Amino acid sequence: MFYELAQSLTSGLLIGSALAVLSVGFSMAWGITHVLNVAHCAFAVLAAYLGYWSLSLWGIDPLLALPAMLPLFFVLGVAMHRLLIRTTARRAHDLGLATMVLTFGLGVVMENGMQLAWTPDPRVLKTAYSSLAFSIGPLIVQAPHLVAFGLATATIGALYLFAERTFMGKAVRAVWQQPMGAALSGIDLDRVTTIAYGLAVATSAVGGVAMSLLYTFDPATHLSWLVYVFLVVILGGVGSILGSALAGLIIGLIIGVSSVFVPLAWNNLVLFGLLILLLLLRPQGLLQR
Amino acid sequence: MTGHPSRRQMLWTTLLIWLAALVVSACGQAPAAPAPTTAPATPAPTTAPAAPTTVPAAPQGTPIKVGCSLPLTGAFADTGVWVERGYRQWAEDVNAAGGLLGRPVELTIYDDESKTENAVNLLTRLITVDQVDLLCGGYPGTAAAAQMAVAEKNQKVYVSMGGHMASFSQGFTYVFGAPPLMGQWWYEGLYSWLATLPEADRPKKAAIFTINNPVGAAILEPMPEKLGALGIEIVVNERYDVPLTDAAPLVTKAKAAQADIFFANGFFPDSVQIVKAMRALDYNPKLIAQGVGSIIPAWVQELGKDGDYVFSGTAVHPSLPFEGISRLNEVAKAKYNAPVAPIYFIFGYAWMQALQRGVEGAQSLDQTAIRDWLKSNQITTVAGTFTFDERGLPPPYNYLTQVIDGKVELIWPPEVRTKDPIYPKPAWGQ
Repeated sequence: MFYELAQSLTSGLLIGSALAVLSVGFSMAWGITHVLNVAHCAFAVLAAYLGYWSLSLWGIDPLLALPAMLPLFFVLGVAMHRLLIRTTARRAHDLGLATMVLTFGLGVVMENGMQLAWTPDPRVLKTAYSSLAFSIGPLIVQAPHLVAFGLATATIGALYLFAERTFMGKAVRAVWQQPMGAALSGIDLDRVTTIAYGLAVATSAVGGVAMSLLYTFDPATHLSWLVYVFLVVILGGVGSILGSALAGLIIGLIIGVSSVFVPLAWNNLVLFGLLILLLLLRPQGLLQR
Repeated sequence: MTGHPSRRQMLWTTLLIWLAALVVSACGQAPAAPAPTTAPATPAPTTAPAAPTTVPAAPQGTPIKVGCSLPLTGAFADTGVWVERGYRQWAEDVNAAGGLLGRPVELTIYDDESKTENAVNLLTRLITVDQVDLLCGGYPGTAAAAQMAVAEKNQKVYVSMGGHMASFSQGFTYVFGAPPLMGQWWYEGLYSWLATLPEADRPKKAAIFTINNPVGAAILEPMPEKLGALGIEIVVNERYDVPLTDAAPLVTKAKAAQADIFFANGFFPDSVQIVKAMRALDYNPKLIAQGVGSIIPAWVQELGKDGDYVFSGTAVHPSLPFEGISRLNEVAKAKYNAPVAPIYFIFGYAWMQALQRGVEGAQSLDQTAIRDWLKSNQITTVAGTFTFDERGLPPPYNYLTQVIDGKVELIWPPEVRTKDPIYPKPAWGQ
């Protein structure tokens, strides 16, 4: 029993970190720009396909392709914000609802575009370290899980430092916490929200690559990933970078523990049951006051 | 946010969205209103190898309309498109061979976007609005099961994979599984082959993990009894929900219980996760049996060596010694660059052949006459020879397959074997 629990916890925590990095951008966009980007995971799946492509066509590991993907996704995010979100925001009475419908449509278009480009066949990313595993005593840690954990730590850490240490990061936080006050202080709201949105979409690329190391994917996968993203963001608190990290790990922990002590078919019941409980106790999320 | 956007900006945004939607819908992928894709009534020129027929008279008269819905986009599109290709190949071949009852065949296939409710609505539309003469079957089992009720209500012959045993136990009389994809029969070949092994060589302890859906339930249903008869004790028997977040707990449970036969009764994504976790956690049972995922091309294409030695089942196979199979293999290679005919390509072709036999046997498009003829005669298709009971099912059968060197080989029964089984499973990476 101890071995099962320890192994499941290890694996669950590492998977939780991948969920966290997938979710952090969604949380940022929602918190700072008040945009519910339902297409966030479609961008992540697009990154997974680009990683798959770089590996299968040119033999370049997706991790090495990621530095090229990040600026591309940043630009995509900026373009999306400037062309679609801002235009909708000016017309809509309810920004959250309007952008949710808009990005849902965008997600469907992206899904169909990916079907055309890569067919609906499921894909498996087979890197040089896909089958590697490390032993820590009786525990075994799978290399892809460890890489995903590394990606998550680096990305969330970098985002946290950006938000805490840089002027732009502080401006982003100011816009999130008090938009009116930020504007009165001379912060260009348009510029800050556009950059925040670009960053949010860029992190989806990291999330997509991390998830593709662990799971198979196809163009329709984004919807199943989105369920976990919502879970992480609601638990961690909308807009909270560290909250997303903590929520991802907690969800991984719950999955690990419940897999050992309750039948597997009840996993989602336990997961969503605890979520409801946490929401009742802390509706603002874990780390928000 | 600043003031109102310029008219030019709004125009460009609208144009961009419209253009994207247009590109998608032009390729038959739009999720909105169903756009039927109609095959030409006359034989189309093809690069595929010609059917081995003498020059027949060209089909004449009003086309016979055959209609169905298939998941051409969405979750089941990867296999749905192969069923569609099977249907279209059949129509092309029939038209090239003089048509059905001397008339050309015209296919109308709607995209149900992998949604059962769409499948039901579209089949109703085909019957009531399009007034097709014949129906072709839907996919997957959930859609087929729902459509079977519609076909029965409208007294239309419906040939498909069905939705496992439950769908054939509703008292329907117009439905046929020719061949069916029957979860309950999935490991028939495996059980038969295991019975031929000396008792000492058989696995002793089974760990069973089953996807929590009707397909999984159908596969699991006979397993306790069948494994018990073989003297195999079930030490773990659990169901899991998809998407499967983490496969490690499943594998650690089986490993802790020292199971030497592992059943992963699931689909491709979850089974890939399980196999990867088995390898990573160095759990190497004597035999791994897998549900539906390992017989689709993606298994060998995407998993490579890690997908080897996995046993599964199938009702059709490109190496079966039936007439027409080798030609379908050539067609799949020439037209779609597939190494062999994918299983669902053969399924689609076989279902249409079964319908064709009924029409030709009855010499009529009268649905009751077609049904009665099929129920009282033996038919031959690329998937084999079948007779049907009152439920529309052939006698239980399924072939045992094993992935060996990246190919899905036939193992059982011995008369169709393409390679000797590799058992017990070699260590990972060997």
